[in-house]
Amino acid sequence: MRRALDRAFTFGATTFAALAVGVIVLIVSALVWRGASAISWEFFTEQMQLVGAAGGIFYNILGTLILLLTALLFSLPLATGIALVQSVYLRNPRTRERLWLGLSVLNGIPSILFGLFGLIVFVKFLGWGKSWLTGGLLLGIMMLPTVAVALIERIQAMPRKYVEAAKGLGLREPQIIWSVILPQCSGGLVTGALLGLARAAGETAPIMFTATIFAGATLPQGIKESPVLTLPYHIFVLAQDSFDPAVSAKVWGAALVLLGLVMSLSLAALPARLRMHEEAHHG
Amino acid sequence: MTGSGKNRHEIPAAWSWTQASSWGFTGLAGVALGSMVLLFLWQSLPLWQHAGFGFFTGERWFYRQREFGILSMLYGTVVVSLIALLLAAPVGIGAALFTAEILPTRWRTPVKIVIELLAGIPSVIYGLLGILFLREWVYRALEPFDPLSGDTLITAGLLLAIMVLPTVMTLADDALKSVPAAQRRAARGLGLTRAETTFTVSLPQAWRGMIAALLLALGRALGEGIAVFFVIGRQDNQWPAHLLSLRPLTEAGQTLTSKLVGAEINLAYGDPLHWAAMVGLGLMLMMLVGGITWLGARWMRRKEHHAQGA
Repeated sequence: MRRALDRAFTFGATTFAALAVGVIVLIVSALVWRGASAISWEFFTEQMQLVGAAGGIFYNILGTLILLLTALLFSLPLATGIALVQSVYLRNPRTRERLWLGLSVLNGIPSILFGLFGLIVFVKFLGWGKSWLTGGLLLGIMMLPTVAVALIERIQAMPRKYVEAAKGLGLREPQIIWSVILPQCSGGLVTGALLGLARAAGETAPIMFTATIFAGATLPQGIKESPVLTLPYHIFVLAQDSFDPAVSAKVWGAALVLLGLVMSLSLAALPARLRMHEEAHHG
Repeated sequence: MTGSGKNRHEIPAAWSWTQASSWGFTGLAGVALGSMVLLFLWQSLPLWQHAGFGFFTGERWFYRQREFGILSMLYGTVVVSLIALLLAAPVGIGAALFTAEILPTRWRTPVKIVIELLAGIPSVIYGLLGILFLREWVYRALEPFDPLSGDTLITAGLLLAIMVLPTVMTLADDALKSVPAAQRRAARGLGLTRAETTFTVSLPQAWRGMIAALLLALGRALGEGIAVFFVIGRQDNQWPAHLLSLRPLTEAGQTLTSKLVGAEINLAYGDPLHWAAMVGLGLMLMMLVGGITWLGARWMRRKEHHAQGA
């Protein structure tokens, strides 16, 4: 009886895990199956033609990369500052707790609300129209918690003796931070940035009203009224009303490219995460 | 996720540029978050003057007639998220039991990471899959109930279930793993089977973390807009005549989020009252999701204190 129960438990849990893994296999293979035929060298190097039915997605990829780079440059210093405040400067545990909760809440805010926020502040008040800079800033705020939390976890996992030794050598606080803590914990920053970028790359809602259009943009020339084309919005528009098979093939191709971008960003974070995992268990 | 940290590095801190800019950046992020709430409040003022409390109790949203009631969208949001959670909870927790209690430790991280990759798939891709596959499947499965199309609240719930599954799974796994391995070994040493160990040792200590996992997943389900919009959001729904009837589940509808990502926001842009109503929707969504996320995050922290105290 006990054996049977145990076997039933093992069987049930394994089934559910297999189901979860099966879903991801199904999704990825569906995308490869439908999208692979659209992928070619020209798909990456040509611009879109005939409302998405022909040509490639060159400017969409470029636009997405511009947004990601802006988001990264904006969020790195902010996340580092927040992580230092949380794990070094803040002395009151209550306030630390609050900052932590604030980061959690920021992380949970639905992405469309960032879009609405950007629409009010940048489009309406500042009169920028649709601009790549708005998109980059919004995505930067969105990835802030991911980057900050990864760095905080790394700093907290760092052995105390490093800081003790630095103090013993008479290093002052900025020196300890710049030459001990940040170099030791740069892995956390990289991991967080990659995971944050992976999330930001696929976001549609924050940029659809603020930073991106469907057709007719190339490289942005200024800040005001300079939108970019992006991969997620391209898919968003084409997916809604395309029953044209030519368009459909291109949409799946674009989705496959986007998936490839997102997954390579998360997989790039993998070695550092595995190493940290091992250190946490054996270090 | 670990918490605010027992292992804080004590450094004698005098004034420095590093410290000043750290505080400055933190302040900037705080101001951004705070100003978001204030801006939404301010921009939605005309709505509160116009509709007042009726915004929450109104069943009809007809912007041409200047009627703004969110009840039917609230219904859509709640139903869709509940379906998602009811489906994702057993699968996610079951999978977590597998990775935490059955799988050998060295396999745990790779399996977890594969499942976490699911969480990284952009919602627009989920939406695309929803349009081209799920809609069709649901339509066929629901055929006996004669739905108008595959755009049903059930479709959206299913899609969301897949989307929040990794969240449930990975957080539930963390909760189970926070139970010390020594206790498990002791239980197994006493002759308990794996199932008995799980039910008498692991689960009783991990249930708080599980609830936190479900709350955070619920927050994610409530806030997801793009994918939901693809499968239901092209048509408004009505407040159901009978609240408990299942019929509306086989019809299309709106959620708070699908309304916001739709084209209506462009229409609203030039009309102060309509705009205020859209921002009001955003404010509602923020309160709802912010509240649930806050609760989930707090619960998770409480669990950690608990574990530390024990």
